[in-house]
Amino acid sequence: MSLSDLVLSIADNKQMLGLRYAEWATRAPSLEADIAAAAMGLDDLGHSRVLYGCLEPLGADPRGAERESDPASLRALAYFDEPWTEWAQFVAANAVLDTAFTVMIEACVNGSVDVLQHRLRKMLMEERYHFLHGRSWLKSGIRAEPLNRAWSEAIEWFGPPDGEVATLHKEAKLSLGPREMRARLEEQLETKAPDSHVDWKSWDPIRRRSRPGAIDEHTFGMLRGLEEKKFAPPKEA
Amino acid sequence: MTSYKRVSGDAVEYEVFARKTRGEPLHQVGSVVAPDDDLAMAYARATYDEERWCEMAIVRKDHVIELWQPGETG
Repeated sequence: MSLSDLVLSIADNKQMLGLRYAEWATRAPSLEADIAAAAMGLDDLGHSRVLYGCLEPLGADPRGAERESDPASLRALAYFDEPWTEWAQFVAANAVLDTAFTVMIEACVNGSVDVLQHRLRKMLMEERYHFLHGRSWLKSGIRAEPLNRAWSEAIEWFGPPDGEVATLHKEAKLSLGPREMRARLEEQLETKAPDSHVDWKSWDPIRRRSRPGAIDEHTFGMLRGLEEKKFAPPKEA
Repeated sequence: MTSYKRVSGDAVEYEVFARKTRGEPLHQVGSVVAPDDDLAMAYARATYDEERWCEMAIVRKDHVIELWQPGETG
């Protein structure tokens, strides 16, 4: 795994986070929360575009042709595989996963790679508002299950203590390693991560997750532009 | 200031102010309803970010002290 692989993972996750946020733009608990969901969705979709744009200057673009046909080739976390059915899932993603992605972006901005230092900095400014939103809703209390799942997927996503993220940290390309990222996330959210065990042997270092599966068919079709064909008028014989 | 009341539960109303250039005064651009300052900041930015601004501020509506209007007896 290279730095490009990691940037593609951030990009794919931000893309899916943005789409899942946007799905709640008319379903959140208040008009203000609807608007915030839409705005944060646009932010994260924009961030994913910037991150995809960093792949070429980084050298090797890891995106292959399989991304057109195989939803499991996308590198998003299992948390985004299906649309969220309850607000608690939104809040857990907003507070924990969005902040985890920001911690990784901070590590890129404060690392030694020029293109990431400059292009990703503005994201940190926008993410301050996502963090306020997630933390405030989290304080209001949500069910433990989505929260624990978000924490466990965030820690998995940072990677094993001796994995590639740790190597990139040693090479100074990232300013934080997995251990420091977890500590930073806990510090930001003013809480310890729930106890969980990650079986790193079954962990996929490219998709940065253990769970099998892939994003739902509708979302995958939409990402490839295929869903719009359903609305096209039938061709005349 | 907005005169209607749309607050329920623990949420309170915040007035939102912004200025587009450093030279111009803060203008009231609207309001948001939120249960705390953090969420009010996030909502204000999300709701009123369509126009470019160089400064945005929020104030809890119940912290605004209104003076008597000219001629008003109090």
